[in-house]
Amino acid sequence: MRIPGMSTLTSLPVPPIVQAALAPVVRRSTSYALTAGMLLDRLIDDLIAEVVRRVDIDQVIDRVDVNAVLDKVDLTETVLTRVDLDVVVRQVLTRVDEEQVAELAAKADVDAIARRLDIDAVLDRMDLTSTVLKRVDLVRVVDAVLDQMDLIALANEIIEGVDLPEIIRDSTGSMASETVKGVRMQGIGADQAVDRAIDRLLLRRTRSPGPASS
Amino acid sequence: MDDEAAIEAAHARISPVPREARPFQGQRAGIVTRLVAATLDGLVIGAVLLCGYLGLVGLIFLLNPRSFTWPELGVVFSLAAAFAVAFVYFTVFWTLSGRTYGYLVMGLRVLGIGGRRLRLIGAALRAAFVVIVPIGIVWIPFSRNNKSLQDLVLGTRVVYDWEPRPVRPKPFEAVTEDDAEAS
Repeated sequence: MRIPGMSTLTSLPVPPIVQAALAPVVRRSTSYALTAGMLLDRLIDDLIAEVVRRVDIDQVIDRVDVNAVLDKVDLTETVLTRVDLDVVVRQVLTRVDEEQVAELAAKADVDAIARRLDIDAVLDRMDLTSTVLKRVDLVRVVDAVLDQMDLIALANEIIEGVDLPEIIRDSTGSMASETVKGVRMQGIGADQAVDRAIDRLLLRRTRSPGPASS
Repeated sequence: MDDEAAIEAAHARISPVPREARPFQGQRAGIVTRLVAATLDGLVIGAVLLCGYLGLVGLIFLLNPRSFTWPELGVVFSLAAAFAVAFVYFTVFWTLSGRTYGYLVMGLRVLGIGGRRLRLIGAALRAAFVVIVPIGIVWIPFSRNNKSLQDLVLGTRVVYDWEPRPVRPKPFEAVTEDDAEAS
């Protein structure tokens, strides 16, 4: 058996005779010390076991002011520094049940959440023009809009609104065309006057010169 | 078919006809307008005859300048020439556009049976009738629907039509008008 302390004794700069004299003493005292140490170890173990058995942990915990302890501890910092959040999140994601999430989402009042959103602020942060230009197929949108519009009706409405023929007549019309218009209108007036006079002479009430085309 | 109707409606709406004249478009014209138009046509025919006479005179002068005298054309020849010119003038212009110069100025148009455009034979018949019996126009005010003697016999009509081009007649128009014939 290797006795602790003997190597120390042999390495000391002491004459061999002294080493020979001290060796038995060192060997015995060391073995006593080891035995005593082992006994003490066992005693301490028994003692701890006895203490643990006798102590009422619940009572101890009740007496501890957990809140005060937590106040003194910066839990956030602790978690951030000591917890591998990536692993935690990955575990959470693998364990998440999609149905539960869907159920949760169904329970959530999205309208209420949306009501709390500052839409204007969100829109201010977005460049909607560039988004539309990049992501929207404008040709299709315009085609769809044009398909739903009655362009002929719209054009007619505009023409009716601005009375284009009247403008064209005014801009291109000459004295001659105005004169012709006047002569024609006077002719129509004279025609009607003659017709009325003849009808009166013949005691006729109705005359049907045909339907007006416009 | 809806598109055609829309185009027709659009055509009607953007008509170059002034607003005040639109209610009369398509109606049969009265005697005053047609007399004015006929007078203008008479002037045109007279001008053509004069040009023809001057052309003849010029030709005779060029052929024999020394013994040149103003040619004396007989009344029969002059009348025949006038009838011929009038007949050709009316036939050609009524066939081409339904309007002579006089009708163009007064905004009139001749239409055939059922409101269709006059064809060559119809135009020739009417032209001959008008040239031979010009007095037929006097019947217009006495007719209940402004028809001259020619219109009455041939089924034609003269309407106010200020549109530069002939408007396609509506099919029902012919029926209703022919039914309304009662003079």
